[in-house]
Formats: sequence, C-alpha cells, structure tokens
Amino acid sequence: MDDKPHLLLIDDEKSIREPLAAYLSRNGFRVSQAADAEQGRARLQGLAIDLVILDIMMPGEDGLSLCRHIRETSDVPVVLLTAMAEETDRIVGLEMGADDYVVKPFSPRELIARIKVILRRARGGGTRQRGAASEAYAFSGWVLKTDERVLIDGDNVAVPLSTGEFNLMTAFVTHPRQVLSRDQLLDLTQGREANAFDRAIDNSISRLRRKIEPDAKNPTLIKTVWGGGYVLASDVTRL
Amino acid sequence: MRLPWRLSFGKPRSLGAQLAMLVAVALLAAQAINFVLLLRASEQQRFYQTTGPPIAQLIEAMRMDALGLMAGDQRRPMLGRTFETTQSPVTSGMSRRRDVESRARALLSEAGLTVPRLIAAEVPAQEMRVQLDPLSSRRRTDILAREVLLISVELQPGRWLSAIAVIPSPDYGVVAWLLFQTLVLYGVVLVPVLWIGGRMGRPLGELRAAANSFRSTAPAVPVAERGPEDIRGLIGAFNAMRTRIAGMLDEKDRMLGAIGHDLRTPLASLRVRAEFVDDETERDRMARTIDDMNRTLDDILSLARLGRPSEAPSRVDLPALIETVLADFIDLGADVAFEPGPRIVASVRANLVARAVRNMVENAVKYGGSARVRVRTDLDQLVVEVDDDGPGIPNHQIAHMFEPFTRLDSSRNREKGGVGLGLALANAIARLHDGEMTLRNREGGGLRASMRLPREAEPVPTGPERVLT
Repeated sequence: MDDKPHLLLIDDEKSIREPLAAYLSRNGFRVSQAADAEQGRARLQGLAIDLVILDIMMPGEDGLSLCRHIRETSDVPVVLLTAMAEETDRIVGLEMGADDYVVKPFSPRELIARIKVILRRARGGGTRQRGAASEAYAFSGWVLKTDERVLIDGDNVAVPLSTGEFNLMTAFVTHPRQVLSRDQLLDLTQGREANAFDRAIDNSISRLRRKIEPDAKNPTLIKTVWGGGYVLASDVTRL
Repeated sequence: MRLPWRLSFGKPRSLGAQLAMLVAVALLAAQAINFVLLLRASEQQRFYQTTGPPIAQLIEAMRMDALGLMAGDQRRPMLGRTFETTQSPVTSGMSRRRDVESRARALLSEAGLTVPRLIAAEVPAQEMRVQLDPLSSRRRTDILAREVLLISVELQPGRWLSAIAVIPSPDYGVVAWLLFQTLVLYGVVLVPVLWIGGRMGRPLGELRAAANSFRSTAPAVPVAERGPEDIRGLIGAFNAMRTRIAGMLDEKDRMLGAIGHDLRTPLASLRVRAEFVDDETERDRMARTIDDMNRTLDDILSLARLGRPSEAPSRVDLPALIETVLADFIDLGADVAFEPGPRIVASVRANLVARAVRNMVENAVKYGGSARVRVRTDLDQLVVEVDDDGPGIPNHQIAHMFEPFTRLDSSRNREKGGVGLGLALANAIARLHDGEMTLRNREGGGLRASMRLPREAEPVPTGPERVLT
C-alpha cells in the first residue's frame, strides 16, 4: 500500500466531482468519490479515510447534516465546499465541526494547500483547529471570537480582522506570554497564504497593533522582542 | 402628520388647508357681492326715507295754496315745515341733487301738480338755521353739524315754496351686521370643511408614509382603511399592490438564488478543469476570467438580495473594518494606502459595508491606478473617502455611475472588465444604511468616492430568515 493520503470527495455534481478527483489524484492523493450523503457514509465506514471533502448543497441529506454526523462518530477532518459566500454560512459550517471550507468556484491549488495544512496538523496531533470553531479567548479587556473572526472590546464593539491578522491573533492567544519568532508565527499561521513572508508577518503585526493597541507606537499588548519575535504580554482566559 | 389647519406662509399645501382656503375665498367673494347689494338697497331706502316727507309736505302746502287756504296769510313764511320765499333759496354755491329733483317731479305729477321750476340741493344745516328752528330743537346741535336737503318749487313767478329735511347720517349698522354675518358663516362652513379635510388628509398621510417606508425587507402591516369611501378604496388598492410587489420581489430573490447556484456549479467545474490546461499563461487567464465572472455573479446576487439582508447591524470599529478590506488589496500588491485616524464606532452591517468599501477601492485601483482611503466624521455623518489619481469622470457622467451596468463608454475602460455593478452595489449598501455615495473630481486631478453613513446608523431590522443561494 502507498502512503498517499486517502480523500473522500462527496459531491452530487458530477461535473465538479470527477475533474476534481482527477486533479487531486494527479497531485498525490488517493481519492474515493461519493455522489450523495448515503454513499458517503458507506465509504466512510468501509475505507480508511484521511480527510473528507464535502459539498454542502446536496439533494437528500445535505452536507451540513453529514458533517455533524461525521464529527459525532469520528475524528476525520472535513473540508466543506459551499456555493454561499456569506459569512453566516461559513460560521454555520465551522459550527458543524468542519475544519475548513472553500467557496465555489475555488482554486484547486488553494484547496490542496488547505488539505495539506489540515493533514499536517492532524498528523502532528494536538494543534488541530477543528473545534476551535466556536471558542473565545479573553485577554486585557478583549475577546477573540474564533467563529466570527472578530475581536470584541469591552464596549461590545467588533474589530474585524483579516485572515492573516486572525491567524496571528489565534497564535498569540494560544501561546500567551511566549516569545514567538517570525518562523514560529509563520508555522502557526500558515495555511491561508501559501507563501507568506517575514515581511507579511511584520505588516500584519503592525495592522493588528493599530487595531488593538491604545498607542500603536508604544505597544503594550503585542510587544516586539529584541532579537526577533513577538510576545502577547497578557494573560489569556479561554471562555 | 401635517395638521390640515396648519397655515403656512405662501400657498397652503395640505388638502384640508387648500379646501378651507378655497371655501374661504369663495365665501369672501359671495359676501362682498352681498355687501354691495345690501349697501345699495340700504342707500335706496335712505333716499326714499329722506326725500319722502319733504316732498309730501310740499304737495300738501301746494294743495292748500291752491285751495286758497293760504290766501289770507300770504306773508306767512312757513306752512307746516315748508316756507315761502320770493326767490329760490337754492343758490349756485349749493350742490344740486338731480336725483331728488326727478323723484320730486314724479311724485308731484302723480299728485296732479305741475310746477314750472323745481330745484333740490344739499345745504349745510348751518345756513338753514332759521328754517330748521322749529324742526327738532332737541338735537339741534347735532343737526347743525350736518347737511340738509332743500327742495324748492316755484308756484308762480316770485313765489317759491321750499321744504327741508335732515339727511340722516349713514347707517354703519349694516356694515357691522355684515361683518357679524360673515364671521358666523365662516364658522359654520369652515369648521366642517376643515373637519372633512382632516378626515381625508389623515388616511392620505398614512398612505403616503406607508408608501415612503415601503421596503421589501419585512411584511408590513396593512394601512388601516378609513376615511371617505373613495379614499378607503385607494388604501385598499395600495395594500393589495404592496402585497403583490412583495410577492414579486420574493419571486425575484428565489429566482436569483437559483440562478446563482446554477451558475456557480458550472463555474466551479470550469475552474477545476482549467487546472488541466498545460499552458500556464493560458491556465492563469482562464482562472482570472472565471474569477471575474464569479465576482460579477456575486455582485448581481448581492444587489438583488440587498433588500433583505441576512446580517444584523452591529457595532463595529469602522477604520479597523476598512483596514481589513485594504489588507487583501495590499497583499495582492495593489497601490492602496490607509490614512489612519481615530477610532470610530459605527452601527452597521459589517459585511455589507466591507463589500461597499471593497468595491470603491477596487474601482479606484482599476480605473485610477491607486487608492488612498480615509475615514472621518463630518457633523452627524461618517465619511469613508477613497481617492485615486486617475483621469476622473466627466461631470455630466457622474450621476450615471451609480446605475447598474454603467461604465464610462470608452474602449480603454472596456478592456478592464467588469460590468459596472461595483458602485451601484456600494451605493445601494450606503442607502440601506440611510447613507449615500458621491463621486467628485478632485481639484488637481483624480476622483474622490465618498460614502456617507449616519453616525448612528440604524438599518431596518430584519427577520432571522436566511436566504440560501
């Protein structure tokens, strides 16, 4: 047997399923296909699946329901395919326990990049972001809500974060008072931006500071550590 | 609601006020005619009342004279209230009263008397003091200040018989009566008119308010059918029309949702298949075209669904929101800069406002090459400004830029793709928040797109329903 990751692709739309399966196969994955939720369940039971790619809109049982079922019965990661770009849909998907989602029409390369990140996390164990879906972390009067990707301040005002900033913030709140080097931050935040650079980290840090520091010139929350790295100078409570 | 009796300077605008105004003017005209007629009648009556007694006295005196009752006493100057003189007491300085003369002649001839000469005139009472003496001593001083009427007939050459009568002072009672009558009429007529005007105006006002606040977001409470029959009918028709329009909008949303889904699937399929193209340049171009199509589809769907947004307004740090939007552009290497400012909290639908800002910036980058973005407060408004350094827009075309599918009609711009929904959508989002968008050519070149939002924007609340597409 090869050690190619085994993906299960569940989508009722043949015109997407088949070329996508072919593309994924060509890029180093073993791919099984299912045309509906029922078939998907059967494949999941019979095969050793490493990751499920699941379309939300399917006739019969929909993807969200199947996603919840998978989450209740196993640890296999799930990536949702959705035709809905609205924020609320993403939140619902993540609440159902999905690890990630892509909006149709998606870039197959990006899909593969995300699959790799999830698989790496799953293999590494522990740091899986799944379940992080509806968590909240409180620090210094701020609350980071992971499902909505916003910071909420003491007055209940939302401060929106870009994906990069959100990933950085998540890295900080999960490693409070630890000095994180740029490399570590890249490791912790990589996934979205396939090629993030040191410079990108610095840019995101300064944007983040403008958003949450009382005085961005003299940061008191996200401090720069001489010799390379940043630290969140605050205790964090998981809510 | 405007009260029907609210009077404004200039033209009254409300139905009730206009009706009342019309009735008041008509009443005034009628009263004026009435007044003139009444005044003339009263004048006539006064004329008869004044001229009757002296003429009657003259006739009586002339008859007695004819019967010779006065023959033995020819020197007696007075007979009754008449007096005799050798010459006419009417002098040339006195003002003749031809109307009195002709009436006197008529009455004399009715009595079968003819005289060679007859003269009537108005004389100041002062000059007739002697003759007036026996008349009414009680109000002498009063009478002396007035005019008297003097009528003289020539009985024979050298014998003139005259009679005098005090001209009564004009009767102002008539005027007072008329004024009183007018006031009563106004009261009796205008109060019901104002009442009926209000009765029609109030339901019409409610109807107008309902039409103004018509939005497809929430099923509205029907306007109460009240007022006169035809207005009730109008309100009923309006309610029915509103229901039909809401139904059509629902249908449109469902249809667009279905179209969106049905188009996304083949697009997604194409996007996957594009990866199988070996030529890298060609593959990237295909990917970009598909992305463009998808964005257009997104814009169309967003614009169509804007009437019933699924997102509830919340309080957001507006500069942070804008910076988050700009981060995507900066990551792609676009020449986009944010001018940081103080923290501004806005109560908005964050995803929609983010989308509007994204469209504004996208427009600036696409047509102006760069974007400089700032957010500031202006009185009770929040202003998001996006400046570019492009060629701007001819002033006469600015108004059209917010219409969907409008682009400047030049081939240069056509190459840049897009169907011109971006600004229309941004404008619609601003409007949803009771704000507005403006475009202005900056002095010194470049375009400034501004989105103004009320500082405490309170968008229409929506139900919990989610529109699936």
